[in-house]
Amino acid sequence: MSPMPEVAGSPNRLRLVDATLVCLARYGVAKLTVDDLAREAGLSRATVYRTFPGGRDEILQAVVDTEASRFFSALAVRLGGADNLESALVGAISEATARLEEHEALGFLIEHEPELVLTHLAFSGGDQVLAAMSDFVAPFLARWMTPEAAGRAAEWVIRIVLSYVMSPSDSLSLSDEAAVSNLVATLILPGVLALADLRSPSAINISPYGAGGAGPAATTGPLERPSGASPDLSRSRTLLSISSSTFDPTGIIDPPEEEAAS
Amino acid sequence: MTDSRTRILEATYSCAGRWGLAKTSLEDVAREAGVSRATIYRTFPGGRDEVVEATVAWAVARFYLGLLEHLVGVSSLEDVLERGMMFAHREIVEHEVLQRIMLTEPDLLLPMLTLESNRLRESIATFLLTYVARTDLVDGVDPELASDFLARMVVSYIATPGRWDLTDPDQVSDLVRAELLAGLVR
Repeated sequence: MSPMPEVAGSPNRLRLVDATLVCLARYGVAKLTVDDLAREAGLSRATVYRTFPGGRDEILQAVVDTEASRFFSALAVRLGGADNLESALVGAISEATARLEEHEALGFLIEHEPELVLTHLAFSGGDQVLAAMSDFVAPFLARWMTPEAAGRAAEWVIRIVLSYVMSPSDSLSLSDEAAVSNLVATLILPGVLALADLRSPSAINISPYGAGGAGPAATTGPLERPSGASPDLSRSRTLLSISSSTFDPTGIIDPPEEEAAS
Repeated sequence: MTDSRTRILEATYSCAGRWGLAKTSLEDVAREAGVSRATIYRTFPGGRDEVVEATVAWAVARFYLGLLEHLVGVSSLEDVLERGMMFAHREIVEHEVLQRIMLTEPDLLLPMLTLESNRLRESIATFLLTYVARTDLVDGVDPELASDFLARMVVSYIATPGRWDLTDPDQVSDLVRAELLAGLVR
């Protein structure tokens, strides 16, 4: 998995974030010290504090923001590049699973400090994460269905991925792309198409995620690519904010800064 | 007279409900249960950690038994899912001890609860398999995979309702028919 392409900006910021990821994968959050991550990054403590005046907590927040941005960027590539609903689903599910399962820092935390991860995945914390992820994915699916159906379908698919990643199944691994294709073809696609089929008399409007209810004229058939439509990334980016001030993907890069330490 | 194991579990549950998990000591549990510390160690050689873990497992098992009792006599897969999810959601929301600890000590409870919810999911899948086996599935859908999938969805929605109001029968019916069953059932 290649990191996000280097954008002009403070190299120290990303360097420290990546060094922190290495440290986290080795011994987790509780034992993380600024000295360790400075050493890992090959920078002085003074440089660390100049880059992150808030110290350890600010770095950890930057790690979360950076990793979320990398994750969502990769998802956007797979979802935006797909030319039909099925390949969008297969691509996004495979990408998300691989990134979550191969994330060494996340893996260490799930294993050794699970409470740090779980508080974000169950009960009210889970609702927030689910809403943020659904809001990000839904506009991509809305190329093939109404916004309301897309919101439902996105939330549903994200639950499936989270469930299989957090509690792997003996009989089904989502890291196997063939198994994902099979799951999408037999279970997920029919489910999503049923959700997209708002002719269903049972369909009731429960869309708290936005206006919803755009008329059927606004959408095309579920399996064709709408001509000229492209995902509205700016909208996704705004919606993505768990806390909009810290969650802006462009905000992870500092303005250029002279580095004179070490 | 209940056996000492059950008395210890009930006592731990009451203490945790009153003072939280961190502040519940084996002395408190022994006093509440009316047994000696030695009896606790004889029953739970792992001491405090084992007692607390066993209590979470016991509370989850009790929740599951309540769910099964509630579903006695329900015959269709759709009805089982609808009634089961509404009941489970209500139990969770109205579960004072769970809600209090989730508010004050989620870091202590969640790892144990997650482990137990995996077991709960397996029990639910086994339970649902009987109903799934009687249901006319879409070609190519394996009943075991379908039961596991449905159990995962049930656990996901009751722990994290997201956009859904699981107290509204119309919404639950819609959810079961679309998200849960549409891809599985003819």
